[in-house]
Amino acid sequence: METQYVGKRVPRVDALDKVTGQAMYSVDVELPGMLYGATLRSPLAHAKIVEIDTSAALTVPGVRAVVTGKEFPFTFGHMIKDQPFLSIHKVRYVGEPVAAVAAETEAAAQEAVEKIRVEYEELPAVFDPRKAALDGAPIIHEDLGKYDHGNVYELVPGTNISTVMKYSRGDVEVGFSEADEVFEDEFYIHPVAHTPMETHAAVVQYTPSGKMLTVWSSADAPCQRAKDLAKVLSLSFNQVRFISTYSGGGFGGKGAIVAEGIGVALAHFTKGRPVKVIYSRQEELTASQVRLEAYLKLKTGVKKDGTLTAREAEIIWDNGAYSSKGPEVARRGTLTIFGPYRTPHLTLLSRLVYTNKQPSGAYRGFGTTQVTWACEAQIDIIAGKLGIDPVEVRLRNFYADGDPYINEQIMHTAGLRETLEKASQEIGWGQKKPKTTGTKVRGKGIATTIKGTNTPTDSYCFIKVNVDGSVTVLTSSVEIGAGQKTVLAQIAADTIGVPLASIHIPNPDTCSTPFDFGVTSSRTTYHMGNAICLAGQKVRRQILETAGEILKTDPERLTLREGEIIDRDAENQMTLKELMAKKYGGKGGAIQGEGYFTPAGSSLIKAKPGIEWMSSIFWMWATHAAEVEVDTETGVVKVLKIAAAHDVGRAINPIGCEQQIEGSVIMGLSNTLFEEFKMEKGRIMNDTLADYKVATTLDLPEIVPIIVESHHSEGPFGAKGVGEPALAPTAPAIANAIYDAVGIRFKSLPITREKVLAAIRNRKP
Amino acid sequence: MNVTIDLTVNGERHRLEVTPWTTLLELLRETLHLTGTKEGCGLGECGTCVVLVDGSSVNSCLMLALDANGRQITTIEGLASNEELHPLQASFIEKGAVQCGFCTPAMILSAKALLDRNPGASEEEIRRALSGVLCRCGSYTKIIEAVRTVSKEVEDS
Ligand code: FES
Ligand code: FES
Repeated sequence: METQYVGKRVPRVDALDKVTGQAMYSVDVELPGMLYGATLRSPLAHAKIVEIDTSAALTVPGVRAVVTGKEFPFTFGHMIKDQPFLSIHKVRYVGEPVAAVAAETEAAAQEAVEKIRVEYEELPAVFDPRKAALDGAPIIHEDLGKYDHGNVYELVPGTNISTVMKYSRGDVEVGFSEADEVFEDEFYIHPVAHTPMETHAAVVQYTPSGKMLTVWSSADAPCQRAKDLAKVLSLSFNQVRFISTYSGGGFGGKGAIVAEGIGVALAHFTKGRPVKVIYSRQEELTASQVRLEAYLKLKTGVKKDGTLTAREAEIIWDNGAYSSKGPEVARRGTLTIFGPYRTPHLTLLSRLVYTNKQPSGAYRGFGTTQVTWACEAQIDIIAGKLGIDPVEVRLRNFYADGDPYINEQIMHTAGLRETLEKASQEIGWGQKKPKTTGTKVRGKGIATTIKGTNTPTDSYCFIKVNVDGSVTVLTSSVEIGAGQKTVLAQIAADTIGVPLASIHIPNPDTCSTPFDFGVTSSRTTYHMGNAICLAGQKVRRQILETAGEILKTDPERLTLREGEIIDRDAENQMTLKELMAKKYGGKGGAIQGEGYFTPAGSSLIKAKPGIEWMSSIFWMWATHAAEVEVDTETGVVKVLKIAAAHDVGRAINPIGCEQQIEGSVIMGLSNTLFEEFKMEKGRIMNDTLADYKVATTLDLPEIVPIIVESHHSEGPFGAKGVGEPALAPTAPAIANAIYDAVGIRFKSLPITREKVLAAIRNRKP
Repeated sequence: MNVTIDLTVNGERHRLEVTPWTTLLELLRETLHLTGTKEGCGLGECGTCVVLVDGSSVNSCLMLALDANGRQITTIEGLASNEELHPLQASFIEKGAVQCGFCTPAMILSAKALLDRNPGASEEEIRRALSGVLCRCGSYTKIIEAVRTVSKEVEDS
């Protein structure tokens, strides 16, 4: 199908709002009578609350409400309902919200917070998930066995193990006996902060008369959050209304109730007045959520020619003090630890463990980043030991079309090889190294990844063709910054046959926009894109039928393009605007259509009964190739270039794909080389952006985004997704390049300058 | 204890009473409702609050409102004249330099301060001038390209 917009470098539809300062973010929401919230946070990692005295806080002028877990004794949790809005009886991490204040001004709220007195009885705390998993560790959730939880999660009450997952395929004993060499390695990946430039923020209003709870926020899945809140507060879904704003960056961090929770608690005590809660940067870094840290053991059997025969994985994930999306990150992330490689015999054990630290949650890649780190570093180790080119080892084991995935889903792998070929070609793989001059040594590294999308999940949309021919697309897909609106508008414009400029996609409002699973799992283009195709085809058909009536011709002879209705023989013509005016101009009216998409039932996701959930309706493949320069005197690693090739199915908007890829690469570089929490007794010491360093323009390498288009047979215009996998291969590609440069293998992240220098100094001569 | 200040913001004059500790950022966002200027940290570490004070880029979270007395302030809302976008705004749209957009106002204003001083700024100069503004979406490549496109036009003409 010929397209006007799909596949073109269309400028983003939200860009004008953003370059003129008109875009409204949650921090910008201002309502009449609005109060300001502030939060008292726990100074201890694990303690019993003996007493809270709020009397002095209540006397501060301007204070309208002081709330603790006593007044608002509710808990929430999308997967495991383990998290209090405000501490109940005990605190479990430094930074946990203990009490909150709503006041006429931020200053008054802050002053009152400082006047709240809390008496604690300190308890032993545990920060290392490996230790927390042992018998005898201090128990963080005594009531784990009583918590409501999703029935797919296997909890281990009486321990700190929040969830456990085991899986095996084939017979690893047989597989290892067939191997010529067996590799056993341990890897560690550290927690990092999402660091969106807009911290978590929300405005919440509760009107007691109508029992209506309204939340203005940039949560990435407003329908899910409304569902969660309705359940825990015993409201119905239509009494909880999420109004989405633009988002100043999420990266997974806005996939949970964070600032919203403080606002919800306060709003119940402010007699209908809305409350605004904005996290400070310190709160964002220490008390929102982080990427799950993980300890990963990988045992791999290989034949001399590099063929993998068996793999065994054991992962311990750090859940932090409460389960945000940790259970699902651990469940899904774990599965792809074997990479895009045929693995006939495998077994895995994953445990998600509570610790007395800030909660962990979704982070761009949803676990894939952690497991890819281990898998791709080990593949390099294997290649080195066997003396086979790392590209060769990968190619030898890559899935091919028709191969079974670990749950026997039949793989559709188009695009995988091409990403490897193109990225390695772009980096000049195999070319002779330049001569080392002085202390600077160069090296190249490569890493691939496999990422699926949560399957099946649903998206609904609603399209209105208005009386003047303009089009409104109603969806609950939030513009989290990744270009959702633009891609969806392009799909709508081409499906219906109208100009892009005639389409408006308002921000979601769960009261009026239809259900969507959420902007997560790189799913929006595919799922909401398909829903829009379905709705768009419906309205297009109605438009042409109406035109047929008016023009007294067979609608089959008519076509709609760029808002013009044209007869096959070009005898009759009219614009959509004229059509709508003729039909509805007098009394008004609209042409409407709805779309519902689910991949459930697709033959592509068939698998072994009972474990179809491991299937993915589409697989995203990527390869990153890095070139670095290591200064052996200072330990500074300079990333010179990263070629990042991604199979996106079809690039609905190549600019958008490049933005995702380039943005992920610099984020990955930053995570890998600079970012690290410094902790003392559970307290994060580097809680400012001066001390928690993220990459700036000065750290930017040459990034070459390479888009591979494999055309998914069921995707909208052939599209798949790109947002998450783009982060995963960056870290191992850099580490593999460092190894190539100086022969030092880092198995633990981050790879800071100090670590590199120490390793170089300790190197045996 | 309030102090009266007189300043011009985006060409409009304001006489206002402020407390001595009010920052320019608070004045702009809360009193004047110019929310295009963002707060990413309030400590001078992220750069999202950059505005132009007499043409120079300043972290508005670090400047007291009373120090803005008598000065000319430009915020992102004041950059386009009537319907016409500033060339930097147009270039940011065209080159795809905008993702979540939270850093965009500060990036554009920092670039404007640079180009007003040094219209043909090189890529290296642009990199350095923008290094005080963080962009977690990682739009850096395209931001630099957008600014360089504008500075190149000067160079080429
Ligand atoms: S708000 Fe971060 S530097 Fe001003
Ligand atoms: S575009 Fe999101 S922070 Fe720069």
